[in-house]
Order: sequence, then structure tokens, then C-alpha cells
Amino acid sequence: MGWAWLFLLLATYPWLLGADLAGDAFATSGLVFFVSGAVLIAPCRRLRRWQCVLLAAGAGFLFEARRPIPDGLLALPLVGFAVFLSTHRAWLRSTPRMLQAAAAVNALACLLWSAGAAHEADLPLAARLGQLALQVFFATVLGAVALVPLALTQNAVMDRLGVPPPEQP
Amino acid sequence: MDQNRQGARASYVALAVFVAGWILLPSGVRRLNREAFAEFQAPALHLLGRSRDLATYWEKRSRDAEELSAAGRDLARINAGLELKLKMLEDVRRENIRLREITRYQASPEYLTVVARVATRESASWWQRIVIRKGRNDGIRPGAPVVFGDAVVGRVAAVHLSTSEVDLVTSPGFRCTAYLEGDELNRIVLVNGVAAASLGSAKARVSVIPHDYTMPAGQPARVTTTGMGGVFPSGLTLGTLDGAAYATQVGNFKESLLVPSRDLYNLQEVSVLVPLKQNPGEALMQADQFQ
Amino acid sequence: MTESPETKVLPSTPVEKIRLYGVFCLFALGFLYVVAGLAYRQLIQAGDLKEQSESQSRRLVLRPPARGRIYDRNGFVLVDNRARWSVQADLAALQKEFRAEYLRLLAAERARQAAQVDAERVMELARVNVLQAWLDKIWFVIDETQKPDVRRSRPTVRSSAEPATARKVDIEELRRHLRERRALPFTLLSDLALPGAGQAPTPEDGMRAVARFIEQFPVEGPIRLESDIIRTYPHGTLAAHVLGYVKDTDDLPPAVQDFDESRAGSLQKLRYTGKTGAAGVELSYNNILKGLSGWELWTKTSAGYNQTRLKYSEPVQGSNIALSLDYRVQLSAEAALAKIKDPQGTPLPAAAVMLSVDTGEILALASQPSFDPNRLAGRISQADYDEVEKKGAWLNRATQGLYPPGSTFKVITAIAGMRRKVVDWDDILECGAFLRVGDHDFPEHEPVGYGDVDLDKMLAVSCNVWNYQVGLRAGSDALAAESRRFGLDSPLLDNPAHAEGDGQPLTELPFAASRGLVVPDREYKLRIKAGPWTDGDTANFSIGQGYLLTTPLHMACVAASLARGETRTTPSIIHDVSRDGTHRGAAPIGLSRVQLEALRGGMVRCVEEGTARSARLPGLPFAGKTGTAEYFKKGQVAHLAWMIGYAPADNPSVAFAVLVEGQLDTDTWGGKTAGPVVREMLESWAAVNGVRLAPAEPPAR
Repeated sequence: MGWAWLFLLLATYPWLLGADLAGDAFATSGLVFFVSGAVLIAPCRRLRRWQCVLLAAGAGFLFEARRPIPDGLLALPLVGFAVFLSTHRAWLRSTPRMLQAAAAVNALACLLWSAGAAHEADLPLAARLGQLALQVFFATVLGAVALVPLALTQNAVMDRLGVPPPEQP
Repeated sequence: MDQNRQGARASYVALAVFVAGWILLPSGVRRLNREAFAEFQAPALHLLGRSRDLATYWEKRSRDAEELSAAGRDLARINAGLELKLKMLEDVRRENIRLREITRYQASPEYLTVVARVATRESASWWQRIVIRKGRNDGIRPGAPVVFGDAVVGRVAAVHLSTSEVDLVTSPGFRCTAYLEGDELNRIVLVNGVAAASLGSAKARVSVIPHDYTMPAGQPARVTTTGMGGVFPSGLTLGTLDGAAYATQVGNFKESLLVPSRDLYNLQEVSVLVPLKQNPGEALMQADQFQ
Repeated sequence: MTESPETKVLPSTPVEKIRLYGVFCLFALGFLYVVAGLAYRQLIQAGDLKEQSESQSRRLVLRPPARGRIYDRNGFVLVDNRARWSVQADLAALQKEFRAEYLRLLAAERARQAAQVDAERVMELARVNVLQAWLDKIWFVIDETQKPDVRRSRPTVRSSAEPATARKVDIEELRRHLRERRALPFTLLSDLALPGAGQAPTPEDGMRAVARFIEQFPVEGPIRLESDIIRTYPHGTLAAHVLGYVKDTDDLPPAVQDFDESRAGSLQKLRYTGKTGAAGVELSYNNILKGLSGWELWTKTSAGYNQTRLKYSEPVQGSNIALSLDYRVQLSAEAALAKIKDPQGTPLPAAAVMLSVDTGEILALASQPSFDPNRLAGRISQADYDEVEKKGAWLNRATQGLYPPGSTFKVITAIAGMRRKVVDWDDILECGAFLRVGDHDFPEHEPVGYGDVDLDKMLAVSCNVWNYQVGLRAGSDALAAESRRFGLDSPLLDNPAHAEGDGQPLTELPFAASRGLVVPDREYKLRIKAGPWTDGDTANFSIGQGYLLTTPLHMACVAASLARGETRTTPSIIHDVSRDGTHRGAAPIGLSRVQLEALRGGMVRCVEEGTARSARLPGLPFAGKTGTAEYFKKGQVAHLAWMIGYAPADNPSVAFAVLVEGQLDTDTWGGKTAGPVVREMLESWAAVNGVRLAPAEPPAR
């Protein structure tokens, strides 16, 4: 199923948009509801590597498109995570492990774009360390929380598309 | 060994090569990519905006008829007042044109007003933006000032086919000149957005305030655009000086914070003032894009 | 849940156990090492390290203060401070661009098969090219003239030569910057409001250039906007010689609140260039105007830029000064002088002084040609310096210009004669067309002579022969003594603000003549090896010619003293309401009431019907005395036009002196040339002080 990644991306997009909407509602606080990292976890258990890569790139570029951060700063690391996760599928075998992975990937990706944004805004990173820490912490929690609905949606779509279930160890 | 691990190294190498290529790629290609993803999202943003409108519509529909007619009455009254004012302004405008002709005074740049609905707000501590549902197709160009009423909202930062991103006054990418109310010498000060502290709302900074400037007593001093930079028309309200923060001396100047004049995060609709003539800054931006 | 293979990590055989403990020990040792190291650093080395890190990551910035303002006597601002906006290039951020340009140039060089490629030179060229490209962008944004449609309605004349230099990156400056301040941003344009000479013709144009840059130039990128305070002279050349100008200095005034010097020693220091007075009141009252510096302690980023301000003490603005000048009188004096031109239309060198008779406060002090202190307030460009130099505009002709006073000196000759009792006010002397002294004929300026001349007529027509006779009768010693009594050999404008030896000028205006004044006598002539004193010298002396040299300010003081019936007037450029009208060294003039009245009457007649007729002001009778002195210019005789006097005649309030340096090709005569200047000054003085003049009548022929 070659186009599975695209359908998956389309199915995931409402969640990404939903996260943006939540961010909109909390606009005065300056918090960004970041879930683009958590999006990778479920597909990386089942899709082929190249499909994961495309999905990751898509999710990353979608996030970057409307934000003043350097091009590729989020998308390329997400691709890296996708390659890593799809290589070490055994790590994602259980739900707790998936949650852990979602939190970790989401936090790392968030750290990257925040640092990039601070750089782009010409602000010294150290001066905004508090905000950065808060954002990363928030992304960690959000990654774990958002994984459940994301994974449910994505698994359902993959089931429909006939993507083989993850190999049981 | 997991079968899936085969070729992992090749994937990493490929990624590294791609990253290197990405960095060396002409910026135009990267911009095209960004543009494509922005356009991909545009319909969803439009949908979002429209559904907001719909929600507002239904919210209004659910109102009591009594309430609505009262609101209509109030509006009609305000409308009448404004009509009168408009008539008077027309006279003033004509006189202004005549005086300009007599004194051969430089005419201020002319603008085309494009009204746009707000689709979504986008904010992190390092930027504050709104996305509006008008874009290149509607004649919006980057750098154009965005206002609501007589208050400055921000400037267009990026334009897509049918959506545009607007840097708000509080965004670090925003910079303009201003006059302070109560400064008879009309010395210009600098207004620029600053990144917000954790969880705090973003503010803009007013700097290079002359040392001998004193705020008018009684009310917060208005900060207005100068109209000298060729971007903003003169006399628009940027906000008021934050009285509490008004004290900091930096070098031989003072510095203060700007309280934006509208709640920038609750805007439904804005007007984009697209200059009829391209200013040099815009030309520069364009030249940079295609170099 | 089945046990996965990975959970079988616990060792089961003794060999593995030993290995494991070995690994544990290794880790333990490593951990211990880390903890010990940490403890050592935290507990023992803490102090040293803290200091070291502070000195590495902190920077002390000294901030120069704003200088005090200078007002005129009515509180009108003559010198102010304004915001200066400068554009700087962040060299660190441009490194990549430099590199790319360098490689491009290198490739081009190789393609030309240049025998030897000087890498250093190519790198410099690359830097200049990149900076020039940015500078061009800045100019593109701020220069409105390039876009004809923007300002079609206001044509401005500018010379085409100026932008060429102003719009180029200063290579010398860049070299110096890279040598001395590599880590700091490089200033591309030091003043946006005054980008090139003549580029921003009005302050509003300047502000527009600033605003255009702020609003149109990209916020991000290697180009930054900085602002500081700069001295501004809102009226341009007005009273430039009095006000002076400021120059850059690295010696800042002392700091408001002293930072701990011992600690400051280890910090990297950054001094912003301050300003110090370089001429005029800016120099002589520098101590009062300069203020106190501030300082800031910043942490800096690894790239060397300032990050967070830790501590600071703000600079304190210098004190303000009120000058005795009256802006309006000064303006009219300068305007009147500017009208006197040579046949080519160049204004002649000239000076005008007006001072208060009672207090000695100077109301106007103009010297022409002048300069614009705004152009000199930053780093003076060689072109600007040369221009001022060529015009001879550095000289304050009113206080530094040394001239023979000519016929204006006849007042003193008359006083000397009457005090020595060799002539009286009503004595009538027979005055022919010349007087033979020794073997020389000393001429009258009227070919047929004036016949019978008394004091009154002498002053009105400025008779030379009367003065020769009186001068010879009284003797040169009497003339010299009288000159000294009126202070023609004493420096003026003592500066009480400065104790001796603090490096500041001892006069209110720097270099106000203290050397070069000459009241000649026998010793003087011998000293300059010009031979023994002769009667001819005395005759010349008696009409203010020969060796006598003085300044317009001195002659204005003589006029003020005459008006009060005293010998000395202490002029001052500083407004002081507590001045009581007593003058140091002043004594009664030593003439009888009748004699003094006759002297004054003669001067009034001089204006009413004599040589100073062209200065006559209907409704305001005043006393005056003209003079036309000869001086040598390029070996030929040229004329100086003089006029001194006081007004009004019956109740003297102001005294004045005007001098115009005639050229070889100009027709310069005392009353004719200097008179109109006096009239305009008095008109504006009268307007300012509410003195009503009679309605204008056709000028007397």
C-alpha cells in the first residue's frame, strides 16, 4: 500500500489542526500545543521505513509552514526519528514503551524547533531558558497524552488500508 | 537481527546526504517547499475560519429577538453619528488636499484597503502572528500594515495564495517609529516587539524616549505612528505607554512598554492597507527572494 | 507476558560476575573522580573560578553622559542634544557572506591567472564588497531622491560629488576597526539623520530617513540599529564661534558611582566614545557642560555580544549654561554681515559685537565667515576641515582678530589730549590738507583740508590733522598710557569657572586675544628691531594706525566705557542676573563734565551728519565713530571698515563695534560699509527691547 503514508497524514492532519486550535485558544499564554512528534509513534510500528520517512517529513513541514522557524529544522530531525523508530520497532512493542517514546520524541522535536525559533528571533537562548524549559515540559506531557487518540485514529486507518499489524516479538 | 534494521545505516547516510543537500539548496527551493505546505493547509484554515463565523452566526441566532432589536437600535444610532462625522471628514479631506497642493507638501502614500477575517492565531513566546483569510489573490503584499479601526494590529509577514500571516505589534519581527503624546517637539521613538517571558503576555517595547519627556498627567500617553517611514499612515494608534514601566533609563534615553490598543488576540476582522506604490523596503524584500 | 531476551541481563556465571564487579568498580572510580573534582572546584577553587568566569563573561560598558544645554539670555535653546541613529553591521554574522565573496573573488583571480594572489588583500576586498552591498541597500531604502514618484513636488539641489564619498565603505576605517575592535559591530552609517553632507537638507528630512530605515529595512539580519545622543546646533552656523563644537574623546568624565576598580581591572572594558568641547563655550565651560558618565555591567554571549545588564549606574547630564547672547540680535548681526560682499559675491571677512553698557554682557558676537558646528560634531571629515580652513573660518574675528583700529582710536587721542591739557573741547585747530612731520607729509583724507576744526567737528568728520597735532603735543607716551588705561593691552573674557591649571582655557572663549595685542611705545619698537621711535610714529599712532593692534571686542568695550564715563568694561559671554554693573579696573574717565559731554556730542553728530550718516536711525539718536584703517594684503593697501559707538545717546544701554576686512578689489569705507550693519543690529535690539523707532523715512543722502 504505497500511498498509506499520505492517507495517514491526511487522517492525522485534523489532530494537528486541533492542536493549533487549542494553541489559538491559549494564545495569550504563548504556549504552543505541539504534537508533531507523537504523530510518528504508531505508524513507525507498522509502516515501511520510507513511508515513515515521508510521513515524518510531511508532519514536520506542515508545522513549519506557518511559523517563522528555519526551513527543515523540525522536519529533518523528525525524519531522523522516523528512521530510528522504524529501525528499532522492538522498542515500541508495548503501550508504556510507546508512551515513553511519544513523550521523548515530542520533547526532543519541541526542543529543536524552540531553539531554532529563539535563534531566528535573534534572542539569546539563555535569556529565554525558562520559556524553553516550560515549552519542552509541556510538549513531553502533551506527547504522551495525545498519543492515545492519535494512535487509535492512525491504527484504525492503517487497518482499513490493510497495513500489516506490527510483528509480535 | 530484526529484518527491519537492514539498511538502517543506509537510511541514516541518505538522511545526512539529504540534510547537506538541503542546506546547499538555493533558498528558492526551500521557500517553494514551505509555500506548498502552507497552501496545503490553506483550505483547512479557511474552513476553520468559516466554522468560526458559523459558530458566531448561530450564537447570534440564539439571541432573543428583543436583545437583537435593542442592539440594532444602538447600532443605528452609532451609525447616524458616524455618517455625520464622515460628512465632516469629507470636507476636511478636500481642504487637506487643497492645502497640500498650495504648499506642495508631500502627499502621504495611498493605500488600498483589503478587509480580511482572522482565521487563526499563532503564538509562541518568540512570535505572535495571526493568519488572515486573504492572500496574494486579493492583492495583499508582504510588509503591508494591518489595522483595525485606527489601531495598528501589525504587518503582513508572509503572503500565500489565499491566506496571509500577520506579525502582531508585539512580535519581535515588528518595528516602527512613533510619536508620544505630550511631546511637543515630535521626536520619534522606536517601537518593537519583544519576546514574552514565560506564560506572560507579549509586550512591545518603546525605546529611545528623550530624557526630558514627561507623560501627560492624568491619562496614559498615546503612542501613534509617525507616517514618516513610508509604511504606516500617520496618526494611527499603536497603544499607550505602560505607566508602571515608565521609568527605566537606558543610557541617555528612557524605555517603556507599550500596551497594545486592542486585545490583539480577540480580533475577528482586520484591514490590510496595501500601498498603491511599492516602497523600497518591499522592493528589497522581493529582490532578496529572487536572488 | 513472556520473558523477553533482553531481560536476561543478570550475570549467571562467576566469570561474568567478576566482569560485572570490575565494571562497577570502574564506574565507581569514575564517579568518585567526578565527585572529588566537583568538590574541589566548588569548595576550594570557587572564588578564583568565579572571578575568572566573571571576567570572561562580563563586560563593563562606560556610557558617556549627555552634555548640558546652552541657552541664550532669554532661555532660547542654542545648543541641544538629539538622538543619533546609527547603522552597524554585525561582522560575526556576516562571516559566511565574507567567506562566499572571498571564494568568488579568489576564483575570479585564478581565472585571470594572476601570478600571485594576495589572500589578505582579496579577503579585505571581499569584506568591503559585502559591506558595500549592504550599504547600498540601506541607501536604497533611506534615499528618497532615487524614487522620483515619491517626492516629485519638492526638488532639492544637491551636489553630485557628495554622495559618491558618503556612500562608500570607508576602507581605512574598516582596517582600523578590524585591528582594534574586531568583536564589535562595524558602523556603516554613523548618523542616519545626516547621512551625507547635504543629504538631509532639513531636520525633518533627516527624521524621515531614520523612519524609513526603521520601518522598511528588514529587522532580522546582520544590520543593526543603534541609538545614542549627539550634540546638535539647531541654528546651524549661528554664533558658531561663540558656541564652538564638540569632538570625540576617549577620556570620559568621571563615573557617577564608582565601580570597584580592583575588580574592574579584570573585566573587559568597553568605552563608548564620548564628546568633549573643542572650541568656543563648549570648550571653555566643558567642566560644567560635560556631566557624569554612567556604567553598565553586562554578561556577554560567547560571540562577544552584550546579553544581560547586571548592574548599572546611569549617566547624569551635564549642567546647562545660559549665555548672555540675545538670539534675535545675534541673528540680525549675522544677517547684516552676510550682506557685505566682494564683487564675486563672497561675503567679506567681518566681525560685529554688541554688549550691554551696564553689565558688559555680550548680546551679539558674530564673526564671518563661519562654520556649521553640526558638521564638526562627529568625526570631522577632511573635506569639511579643509573647507573651513580655506575660508579662514576658524578665526573668531571679534575676539581673536587683531587689527589697527583706525579712526575709531581718535576718541582716545582726544581724551589723552584733554587729560594732558594740550587741547580743550572748545579749542579750534587749523587743519590743512596735510601736516608735515619730520620729512613726511601726513595727509588729510579730505584733499582740501577741513580748515578750523574743534573737537565736535573732528569727531563728526574724522579729521586726521587735528589728531596729528594733538598726538604730537601730548606725546606717544601719553597715547600709549591712555590706551592701556582703556585696557587695549589687557586680555578680556576672564573665565572664573576654571581654576588655573586644570587644562581648561582661562578665558570664556578659548584663545580670546591674550597675545598679540599691541600698544606700541619706544621699547616696543626697539624690541621688534624697527629702529628708534619717531614723531611720524606718534602721528600714525594718533589716528590708530601703525603698530597698534586690537580686537573688535576691545573697541566695543572702549565704547561701553565711554558711555558710562569710565575706563574699563569687563565683558562676559555668560548671562548672570546678579551682575551689578561694576567693572574690574574701571576708573572715572578723568575728564570734566563739559569735556565728556563735548566728546559724546561729537560722536552723536558723527551719526547725525558726519561719517556715520549711513547708520542713522530715525527716532533713536546714538553715538558713533567710524574708522577706515589701512592694512597690507599681499603687499598692497586694503582697507578695514570700522564703526564703534553706543545707543541710545542720552541713556546708553548697548555699545557696539563692527569691523569689515576690505579686500583689494572692494570699496570699503568705515561708515559706508560698517554703518548699515550697526543700523540693523540696533533696529533688532530696539525691536527686542520695545524701543519705538520713528517711521522709516527715505535714507539721508
